[in-house]
Amino acid sequence: MAIATEPLPSPGWGLESIASLLEAFPRGQLSEIVGPRSAGGSSLLTALLARATAAGDLVALVDGPDTFDPAGAAAAGAELRSLCWVRGRGGRLDAACHAAELLARCGGFAWVALDLAADLTSPARTAPTFAPATWIRLQRAVRDTPTRLIVHASRHLAGSAAALVLAVERGPARWMGSPRPRRLDGLGSRVRVLRARPPAPTAGESGTEWKLAWRL
Amino acid sequence: MEARVAALRRLGCLLVPGFAAAAAVRAEPALAGQPLVVLDEARPGRLVLEVAAAARALGIAPGMTEAAALARSGGAICRERVAAHEAAAQSALLEVALAHSPRVEEGGPGEVYLDTAGLGALFGDEATLARRLAAATAAAGLPARVGIAGSRVAACLAARWGAGAERVPPEGDAAYLAPAPLALLGLPVEMARRLERWGLRTLGELAALPARELFERLGAEGPRLQALARGEDPRPLLPWRPPRRFEETRELDWAADNLEPLFALFAEMAGRVCARLEAEAVAADLFEWSCRVPVARAPGREVRGSFVPPVPTREAGAVMAVLRATLAAAPPAGAVTALTLRAQPVRVLAAQEPLEGEPRPSPRALAETIARVIGVVGAGNLGVPVLLDTHRPDAVRLEPLDALFRAAAPSGEKRGPGEGGVLALRRLRPPRPAQVRLVGGRPVHLRSGGLMGPIVASAGPWRVSGEWWLESRWSADEWDVELADGTLGRLAHDGSAWVLEGVYD
Repeated sequence: MAIATEPLPSPGWGLESIASLLEAFPRGQLSEIVGPRSAGGSSLLTALLARATAAGDLVALVDGPDTFDPAGAAAAGAELRSLCWVRGRGGRLDAACHAAELLARCGGFAWVALDLAADLTSPARTAPTFAPATWIRLQRAVRDTPTRLIVHASRHLAGSAAALVLAVERGPARWMGSPRPRRLDGLGSRVRVLRARPPAPTAGESGTEWKLAWRL
Repeated sequence: MEARVAALRRLGCLLVPGFAAAAAVRAEPALAGQPLVVLDEARPGRLVLEVAAAARALGIAPGMTEAAALARSGGAICRERVAAHEAAAQSALLEVALAHSPRVEEGGPGEVYLDTAGLGALFGDEATLARRLAAATAAAGLPARVGIAGSRVAACLAARWGAGAERVPPEGDAAYLAPAPLALLGLPVEMARRLERWGLRTLGELAALPARELFERLGAEGPRLQALARGEDPRPLLPWRPPRRFEETRELDWAADNLEPLFALFAEMAGRVCARLEAEAVAADLFEWSCRVPVARAPGREVRGSFVPPVPTREAGAVMAVLRATLAAAPPAGAVTALTLRAQPVRVLAAQEPLEGEPRPSPRALAETIARVIGVVGAGNLGVPVLLDTHRPDAVRLEPLDALFRAAAPSGEKRGPGEGGVLALRRLRPPRPAQVRLVGGRPVHLRSGGLMGPIVASAGPWRVSGEWWLESRWSADEWDVELADGTLGRLAHDGSAWVLEGVYD
């Protein structure tokens, strides 16, 4: 049985664009959000959690490096009572992958997010290596379930197992006050489709990107 | 047909008058024959709840205050009511009844009924059985009165009115009770006075009144009292069953000094406990386990633990997944010679699926999955985040996942303009030590772990502090900084050292 894939929304800007972009993640498939440090990938993931939990969905977040900030998610509108937070204390990312596989296979969660961002203080934010079978296992675990499985990492990891890969690129940081900054106001991000299966109507067009704005 | 069944029915009643006082004497036999006064601490003024016969002879009566009771000459002995003593006495009374009949009903504190039909072949005639029951309760430390009749009411009234071990002939309940005083019914004061004004003194006189006129004057209460006076009680016996213990214990012939054999034994015990829960159509919301570790020249030390499943469960696999993770994280310090696993049963109600929105997961299936995840990441690393009522940074705790199943339906509230576009902070736990170079009081260079570079923009300091009245007070100056490579971070200085609290992403 072919699993229907939601068409990607048209490129846009701002909050409307975030809302429509979040609807593009396909059910029963593995998707990826990739991007370097301070590009806005975590903000996009938090927006996803906020939107899903506020709609009453159960969400599981497997927080591999244990860096999730519940207070920030609540500020973004997340209903924390609908969030199952799995903390990856000790930095065992293989255990995080296993936990995400179990949660995805159960089919009880509308969203399962697996955060695999590497050590934030590493000089170049390099992602750890995983066995290729890891992604096949995750993809098979979520297949035929109503769950959306999202992997967040600094680079594309899942290869052909991912049905949708969104690359988040760093935009300019916005500071208030001139000439000396008084306050960090927010950050801009650009989101591009690295991979979409089947190709989304907007995915093949060159130069298409979504411009998102995150406020502190 | 009903009359034939009623004629065949024979019920016995074990009644302990002054049950609280009897339970106190049973727990402290030296009080027997003493002027004992049982006080009810739960009532204001420490009122007298019950008194022994010797205390009643001194003029002490229920309802008096403790001070008034002690003021009477004769040296009354006061004891507070102890629920555990009463529970033990009630169990003893039930055990006596169960030793004589398989069908027993618990009527209340100090009141037990048993089906005596067909016991003749075992214990002889009913008079013998009544004497035997009285002797057995006395041996159990309780001065019970026994009545055997055709109904529960008649048996109870016979126990109250009779000589101690009373037997009412079959189909003779009304005739037996006819000369008994009205006070035997324990009527409310108003009703007792009303009947007394009518000139009624005995149950027989009440039973002989015309039913229609009695109903016109007393309403439904009239025919009910009349039925009691005749010893009529058509309600069948409600059998009582001893509470089932969902517990397994294994004494080992050899001391187990590694976890694998313990896991195998616990799995077997969990299977049996869960099968028992299944048979009773209940689940457990708490599992307790213990391991006995022998200590030199001592009976042994118990290593105990417990866990609450995300939802009540009777899945042995789910129980073992959590137990395995718990024991692996903190194995018993020493060889184990005995194991115990105990479950606390609860009745599980079926949940209604919502008509709107996505279907909720099966709690049982989800509980099993969660148990497996706990086995992977360890207990305590999974739950529903709850923000604490403080401004302290990163003040959050994890609650058990049952909160997830109580999650409210979507509120439908309109989302604010800022929601959905909030810049996320990835918190470093614990915050990483940082070396920060300052120029003119502003940070210009950062080094923290492998993160290093000039700071091209910064904003701060933002003073955060709180709980100055506690030992755990906190205070720091926070800075938002941007490095040359575009990394956005949050620094904090607590007066002595810099730390990197997190990175904006």
